[in-house]
Amino acid sequence: MNVETAARATDFRPFGRPERLGKSLAWLDGVQEAAMERFHEHGFPSPKIESWKFTNLSRLARTTFHDAGVIKGPELTRAALEPYRLTPDCHLMVFVNGQFRPDLSVLDHVPDGTRVVDFAAANEEDLRALTAPPVVAVDPQARSLFDLNTACMSGGAVVHLGRGAILDPVQLLFVARPDTEPTAFHLRNLIRAEAGSSATVLESYIGLGEGIYWTNAVTQIAVAPNAVLRHYKLQAEGSSAFHVAATSVRLDHQAAYRMFAASLGSGLCRNEIDVDLSATDAVARLAGTTLARGVQHLDTTIRIEHSKPRGTSSQEFKAVVDGRAHAVFQGRIRVAPDAQKTDARQVSRSLLLSSTAGVDTKPELEILADDVKCSHGATIGDLDEEALFYLRARGVGEAEARKMLVDAFIGELIEHITVDTARAYFRRAFDRWLAYGAQP
Amino acid sequence: MLKIEDLHVEVDHKEILHGLDLEVPEGEVHAIMGPNGSGKSTLAYALAGREGYAVTRGRILYRGRDLTAMAPEERAREGVFLAFQYPVEIPGVVNANFLKSAVNAVRRHRGETELDAMEFLKLARQKLKLLNMDEALLSRPINVGFSGGEKKRNEIFQMWMLDPRLAVLDETDSGLDIDALKIVAEGVNALRGPSRAILLITHYQRLLDYVVPDRVHVLAGGRIIKSGGKELALELEAKGYADVVKAAAA
Repeated sequence: MNVETAARATDFRPFGRPERLGKSLAWLDGVQEAAMERFHEHGFPSPKIESWKFTNLSRLARTTFHDAGVIKGPELTRAALEPYRLTPDCHLMVFVNGQFRPDLSVLDHVPDGTRVVDFAAANEEDLRALTAPPVVAVDPQARSLFDLNTACMSGGAVVHLGRGAILDPVQLLFVARPDTEPTAFHLRNLIRAEAGSSATVLESYIGLGEGIYWTNAVTQIAVAPNAVLRHYKLQAEGSSAFHVAATSVRLDHQAAYRMFAASLGSGLCRNEIDVDLSATDAVARLAGTTLARGVQHLDTTIRIEHSKPRGTSSQEFKAVVDGRAHAVFQGRIRVAPDAQKTDARQVSRSLLLSSTAGVDTKPELEILADDVKCSHGATIGDLDEEALFYLRARGVGEAEARKMLVDAFIGELIEHITVDTARAYFRRAFDRWLAYGAQP
Repeated sequence: MLKIEDLHVEVDHKEILHGLDLEVPEGEVHAIMGPNGSGKSTLAYALAGREGYAVTRGRILYRGRDLTAMAPEERAREGVFLAFQYPVEIPGVVNANFLKSAVNAVRRHRGETELDAMEFLKLARQKLKLLNMDEALLSRPINVGFSGGEKKRNEIFQMWMLDPRLAVLDETDSGLDIDALKIVAEGVNALRGPSRAILLITHYQRLLDYVVPDRVHVLAGGRIIKSGGKELALELEAKGYADVVKAAAA
């Protein structure tokens, strides 16, 4: 660790202590103190660590951030949030600058057997999830921001599904209204789906206005036997924002996890998704897209751990990169010696729209079982010039033709989203991005 | 309608057309025939404005205006249509969406009102019916999974929808069985009219049995080396290109 990050690290105070959460739990104090110690020891992940070699956080490490608590809650109305909502009537938890806003949330018809509450209203059993380490073990320095989150967490959502419960889409909407001073939001979400339950959870990270802020989000998910979780995430932070997120998912026997992640906001983003198929016959299907332009640097890092036999996993990720932007895709599949009959595949495709755009893609397969099906493929290409000419030769303008081809590239991914309203939600987000891109 | 003067075209710094002259008056159908490698497709792409086909000398006058300065989409909106020898497959772009954008871009350019979804569909159905084509084509991605014949018919369909003034058909007859050839030929014949010009680029005389040209030109070595009436096509078919090229060189 270099001196600079060590010095900076000491500036972080654990302001999200249990008192803040309205709790006084000795064990939680211990967990948070230990996490802060680990963060102090390791500092920010450096590019010298293998898993961080494509994404340099030195700019983030050099920035002095203030507590989220310093900012007065900006005046926001429900109407102002309308464009960012999944549907006008879905269950909704709104957080503005890291703080839960019950006045903007809609939680009055959450069905029996489920709980959707703010972190402060979590019970001790919910919070026990905080003692669980990340589901996939990596170098502790690579994890230091997860630790920082544990030490500083100021709030987030707790979604609990009782046995056999069914929850219609719930949207967790994290809105940032940046202040003149850089601000950090350490958000922690806990999602627990008991046996046989089924739910759809959408996380939306939206930046309103310009200004520097940092979202450091951790979402811990446990899916019990025969439960199904559809998990969607839209990262549309402000253009000067840092977005660092770790999603950590543990799947039990015959649990099914479907994830779609779209990353199109922020100046610098690291979106990590770790899934442990910790019991037999679990299924994890991950897909997503990165849309980057300007000087954005957007990183998606996936680690899939097949710990037990007969698991199925798939990763299908696409990136469209324009301007001087940079996209990173790292996808790891690890198959434990015991995880026979694993079926794991990974595909990443990138489309470069300018000569100054860049992509780094790194597949990693570590297969320790002998009776498995594993595959990976990666492509990086430009827009098809022949197709572009064909469209233009019929009268379609160049910008419109490019838009059609980019849309075609990402469009099919949307079919991975099985919930109609969510598919439409991402469609709208993509259309906004494409419309912006079509302008001169 | 179309007047090409001393046209030189380079592809990858190699000159393919070495001073081509050609005139196609309004209301006429002309055929350009020539051996492989003579520059037929280069001429087609140069007319449509494909990137990489650099006009280094000469000019292409279309209705009195120089085409070479126009982007491909401007040429299309001005009424130039190229039916591709190899229509491009474009996964993910639905035919109807693409064609509606194209038709409306052309209509805007002509100062006509744009078609809404219903009007477009009505027009498209009408044209498809005349071409004996399945309406399902509209909801399929452009040319993806189409047979060779379907692709060529899709070109004719698009041509009908865009209603061009100058249609250039690059080997639209190649790879077609006789039934498909007849449909394509009927599609071309239906477009013949006093305000339109059609340029058929072909290797074989076969298509010209069904679409009888007013003039036939022989393209060889990057120039038009001989022009004549429709009987020239039959002469080429009987004697082969080599004799005609040799006679012209003599």
